[in-house]
Amino acid sequence: MGEDPKLTRRSWIISAVMAVGLVLSYGVLAAQGVLYLLPPLVKPRTRKLFAGQLANYELGSVRAVVDLQGNQILVKRGREGIEAYSSVCPHLGCRVHWQQEEGRFFCPCHRGVFDAEGVAIAGPPADAGQRLAEVPVTVDTKGGVVYLEVKDLRS
Amino acid sequence: MSLNTKRMIVAALSFLFLAALLVVAYQESQRFRVEEKLDPVVTAANSGCVDCHRKDSPALVMEWEDSRHAKFGVGCVDCHQAAAEDADGWMHEGARVAALVTPLDCARCHAREYEEFSRSHHAKAGLIINSLDNVLAVKVAGMPDNNADAINGCWQCHGSIVKLKRDEQGEVVRTGKEHRPVLDADTWPNSGMGRLNLDGSMGSCHACHSRHTFDAKISRSPENCGKCHMGPDHPQIEVYNESKHGIAFYASRDAMALDKDGEWVLGRDYSAAPTCASCHISAYMTPQGATVANTHDVGERISWTLRPAISKKQNLVVYDDGYKEDYMDSRPLPAVGDSIDTEEKYVESEQLLAKTVRRRVSRIVPWQDRRAAMKGACLNCHNDHYVDNFYEQFDGLVDLYNDKFGIPSTQMMNDLLADGVLDRNAPFEHHVQWVYWELWHHEGRRARHGASMMGPDYTHWHGMYEVSKHYYTEFLPAVIDAAAEKSSAMKQKYERRVAELLTRDEHLWVKGLSPKEAEELRKAYMKRYNQ
Amino acid sequence: MADAKLSPARRLQQLFPFDWSLLRHAGAEPVPYHLKKWWFCLGGTPLYLFLIQVLTGIALTFYYVPSPEEAYASVQAISTDIRFGWFIRSLHKWSSNLMIIAVFLHLLRVFFSGAYREPRQLNWMIGVGLLLTTLSFGFTGYSLIYEQLSFWGATVATNLADAVPLVGPYLAYFMRGGPEIGPQTLTRFFVLHVGVLPTVIFILLGLHILLVRLHGVTELQFEGEKLEERDRFFRFWPEHVTTELMIGVFLMYLLTILALIWPAQLGPPANPAVTPEVIKPEWYFYFNFRLLKLTSLNVSVVLTGVLLLIVIFWPFIEQWLVKRFRMPQSVSVGLGVAGFLGFLVFTVWESLAH
Repeated sequence: MGEDPKLTRRSWIISAVMAVGLVLSYGVLAAQGVLYLLPPLVKPRTRKLFAGQLANYELGSVRAVVDLQGNQILVKRGREGIEAYSSVCPHLGCRVHWQQEEGRFFCPCHRGVFDAEGVAIAGPPADAGQRLAEVPVTVDTKGGVVYLEVKDLRS
Repeated sequence: MSLNTKRMIVAALSFLFLAALLVVAYQESQRFRVEEKLDPVVTAANSGCVDCHRKDSPALVMEWEDSRHAKFGVGCVDCHQAAAEDADGWMHEGARVAALVTPLDCARCHAREYEEFSRSHHAKAGLIINSLDNVLAVKVAGMPDNNADAINGCWQCHGSIVKLKRDEQGEVVRTGKEHRPVLDADTWPNSGMGRLNLDGSMGSCHACHSRHTFDAKISRSPENCGKCHMGPDHPQIEVYNESKHGIAFYASRDAMALDKDGEWVLGRDYSAAPTCASCHISAYMTPQGATVANTHDVGERISWTLRPAISKKQNLVVYDDGYKEDYMDSRPLPAVGDSIDTEEKYVESEQLLAKTVRRRVSRIVPWQDRRAAMKGACLNCHNDHYVDNFYEQFDGLVDLYNDKFGIPSTQMMNDLLADGVLDRNAPFEHHVQWVYWELWHHEGRRARHGASMMGPDYTHWHGMYEVSKHYYTEFLPAVIDAAAEKSSAMKQKYERRVAELLTRDEHLWVKGLSPKEAEELRKAYMKRYNQ
Repeated sequence: MADAKLSPARRLQQLFPFDWSLLRHAGAEPVPYHLKKWWFCLGGTPLYLFLIQVLTGIALTFYYVPSPEEAYASVQAISTDIRFGWFIRSLHKWSSNLMIIAVFLHLLRVFFSGAYREPRQLNWMIGVGLLLTTLSFGFTGYSLIYEQLSFWGATVATNLADAVPLVGPYLAYFMRGGPEIGPQTLTRFFVLHVGVLPTVIFILLGLHILLVRLHGVTELQFEGEKLEERDRFFRFWPEHVTTELMIGVFLMYLLTILALIWPAQLGPPANPAVTPEVIKPEWYFYFNFRLLKLTSLNVSVVLTGVLLLIVIFWPFIEQWLVKRFRMPQSVSVGLGVAGFLGFLVFTVWESLAH
């Protein structure tokens, strides 16, 4: 059947509007569905952990504090103040030791060596230009208390 | 329905659908993921304690788990650890611990608060040992082998001298397979504010900061102070409850931010009412927009000492090592830089001893400055004219008590002592000594405290009315009776003294009112009550 | 033979030799005019809603954990942690309710338009089967949430099943996965809801639609209606498709509004030791629950069974009644009305009762 050209143009416009409406609405629904399927990016939460009194940290000494995952954090009192490093070797995850006499961190697995600031100076970590991960430290000077910012356990 | 109509309907519906989806998206963006409560952290050192004590005393462990300490991993051992030289320490399941946690232990982390507290009157509350109050409890109410009044009464607020139980040889009694040293039941448990501890420190933090949550909301609440600051001899909590301050607090307790973490500043975090802590300890805003920090020295903002028989303004002398001394206004002040021999009480080997320490004066804080520190809190709600006028009213009441009753009665008592009627070594022998004691120690204090914190009923009916009544109807007659016991000559002497006293203007009412005043009174009663 | 000079379309045709003209043919198929009447859309509506159920259901399965320890928490996580989780879950919940309502209404339409009669008896029975499958979907799905009502609802249902004569105990044992409700029960319900029932419904749906296409939709001739030949049919594309689109978008809009205003809630978690004071099944079982309260366990089970059999075999029963007693059509209609009213009364009664 022959159609009225005015009707045909009108039909096209209405069809176009309808198509836009459908695409937009179902598109938004699809987008929401995709967001739903993507697990939310949750930053690992950190929390402050009590790490003893400032007075108990002698200059030049290193103490180990256990974090919430059970890993040791090596806390050092240097000239600039308290610094803390993760004891996990960045090479392959073994735990480093502090050697007081040599003034360095040593990893027994592949003989990686880190200086007193945690920068790798020998062994595979040094080859890769790695360093011990730094753990943020807060010192409450009024109370003389040291806190470490550690990863929270999400149960 | 034509095809185009259908298409238009689809278009319309799809846009409506789109709008609804946008609302969904908006709702989603507004949703907050509930912040999970931080779990308590049990470190390796404390896990043994927690595992076992969770069964032995579950509520205690639960309280600790709710505390802020637990959120940072501060646990049992961190506070209860005992040094080798701590006499009350013992080896318990692999750690050396003591049951008693003293201010020195808290000071490991809370150094500033300890510094302030250790210089304060709170820390010195245990020195009541050397007072008539103590005599009343130990000697007058107690028996030689049973000191229960002091133990259960006075010392539970003021603090005991903590002692270890010893056998006849003087050796510490130990018990159980761990050979735990036993604390003398006469002295512990005790959370008295001025407890004299085995490690030489004075005081007890958990008198206010109840264990084991150490919740701030407890220590900020007036009821906390009311445990000790109450009663016939210093009814501070009763006065507070009567006052508008107290009424405002109880009405708006929920708006007081009592459980706020960290700073708690009047004029910033809350405004509904002051609590005891607000005025005497806590932080407040200044007109310049700065915050005056809190202080654990509860005497810093106090300008009167209302405790003694005759109240005086008190200045503060601060020495270079932080030691503080109150100097009554009548006592001449030293100069900054002077070396003074101060007498200091201390605890050693479970004894309260005194020593002389030479110290240099580093600064003087006159009573006006202490009052200004207090006024700073008042000014958050009241304007300065209001505050100044209040202090005039308050000062006036203290002066009234001193002038009309306090000074004359004290003078009378001193004269009786000088005349040998009273024995210096027998403080409660005669009735007049009891009456005098209560005059200044009970109703006199009630009047002064009532005026200090705007409790009118305590100022008058519990206070000055009872002062007056007892002064006229009990004290003065008792003076004569005491004198009579000595000799009839003494009796006559004091009858004359009293008669002379009563000729003063303020006592003329004894003879009667003027006819006009009496007539006015009678007419008023007749009109109102028809009696 | 691969010829490099072929156009892409021709090449595709070689690899995928489908006759696309068939689709055009299908699109041009004439649709009987009465499908312009709205209540004839009640067949497509549950299908559309089922499609939504499949999509939202699969989405939910990404995060749902079917173990008694974790089920409730996973639903909670969907509702609070996952982005748009509350929305997907609410869509799923409302779509299930609307689907059941739509299936009921479709059953009513088919019944009152006599479309179950010769030769469509088989399709009617498959339809009832679809209804029962849908109700089973509702029941198993709700049990998966593992809140108090889920747990105790499942307990009551399995006990009811137990009371069925002869096969009861085996049926209950099969449902529970053991002598009593335990972790296996939840796993079973999950497999039923996500695997077995979808397969069943796909098969039944396939048969149902096939039979509709084979028999054709029951043509109705309303009294006094005399239509032109050309008005007896209209085009599938674009007219009917647009109609379907209208319904589809309307349903999406409705579901979204419902999800916004009454999002899916979560009751207290299942506690096998404590039965809540008020225990009710989902609303579509209210009539049964009311019956249970009015009679005894055995009576209500047998009665429900008998009613169900009557409904399933109604086309044949009616045929027999007409042949034997010359039962007029109005009796049939009357019975249908009575049945529907009875169902309505019992449902409302139960919903009002504590």
